[in-house]
Amino acid sequence: MWGLIEHRYKMRNWDKDAFWETPRKAVLNCISEREDGNKKIRQVHKLTEEDPLFKQCVDALGEEHIDENTKRRVNIKFEEQKKRQELEESKIKAKQLEQLFNYKLKTFEVEEIKLSQNRELKSKLRRAKSIPEVNLWAIKIMDDYLNSE
Amino acid sequence: MSNGYLVVASQKESFYRLAINCLESLKDYYPDAKCCLVTEERFLDGRESIADDLIFCGDHYREKLWGMSQSPYDTTMYIDADCEIVHEDIATVFDELNGNDMVFHTLPKEGKPIFVMYDFTCEGKPEQFTYCGGVCLYTNKEFMFDWYVLYLKQFSKIWKPDIQPWDKLYYFDQTTLWWLLNKDFRHKDIKVGTFKDNLRWNYYNGYAELKMFPKQEVIINHWSKGSPK
Repeated sequence: MWGLIEHRYKMRNWDKDAFWETPRKAVLNCISEREDGNKKIRQVHKLTEEDPLFKQCVDALGEEHIDENTKRRVNIKFEEQKKRQELEESKIKAKQLEQLFNYKLKTFEVEEIKLSQNRELKSKLRRAKSIPEVNLWAIKIMDDYLNSE
Repeated sequence: MSNGYLVVASQKESFYRLAINCLESLKDYYPDAKCCLVTEERFLDGRESIADDLIFCGDHYREKLWGMSQSPYDTTMYIDADCEIVHEDIATVFDELNGNDMVFHTLPKEGKPIFVMYDFTCEGKPEQFTYCGGVCLYTNKEFMFDWYVLYLKQFSKIWKPDIQPWDKLYYFDQTTLWWLLNKDFRHKDIKVGTFKDNLRWNYYNGYAELKMFPKQEVIINHWSKGSPK
């Protein structure tokens, strides 16, 4: 038992990428490396203030360094999330445009619209930016066609 | 010297509908454009009158290659049926030829996630498909006919080069195009160019998902993904 505890507090090297997991600096996420015979052991920790390794790591890296690293990490994560969100929005927008295109194609197959020779109104329908706008131009084309019959 | 646009719709009526939409959109933005529709007689419903020239073709999926070789124009801008013209700069396309025999849209590497096929091997060497046949500005109709003939041989497995994965590439017209431009000595002197502001001239709807945009406004939207075929 004592041997194990002694083993746990052997001198370690701390990876410089340590960061605070909470704004109050109550949990420290860090990686240590230590030699054990001819083996090198790399270990990931989530340390609370009560853990003696917490102080060992803060003393080794310096609180200011961990603060800076945490700030940099938060910014990277924020940028990543922003990019993911933008990509998701682009996908939704692209899907909506695809649906709008298919809706226009279907609308052009309505008999009265298919037979209409009014190129100006048909062009307006093709340029419509939304489904309600497509419907509006579809009604105008049908109206124009029925009145010209 | 005559300039014109060409669209092909074969095998399915849905291609005909897409082709009509494509030609009508062309005339929306360039009313004086000369255009040719290559299609099957059975699809005609009166709307084909939008085309200045009409050519009847067979019912093979790749009649596009034969259609391209039959263009009535000296310089032709071929456009896939599932495209839509959305900018008046379509009228300037013939300036893009710049002394070349053919001008293609190039497939950008960052678009790989949306392409059916990009990487392949020829005689064990890694290669990439760089030119896309979705749109093509050309003067050389003989090349188009060779493309058609070799494609038929490839599709019917009479001709089989050492290209892998062959099971995914034998029905692909891009495979034939790559071979003709890179391995066939008959076409070694052919001058091939690419469109300036490449994405403007063939904007796949999948590009938007990848946040890929041209420098200037899009001229041709290509609805290859999700359009009813």
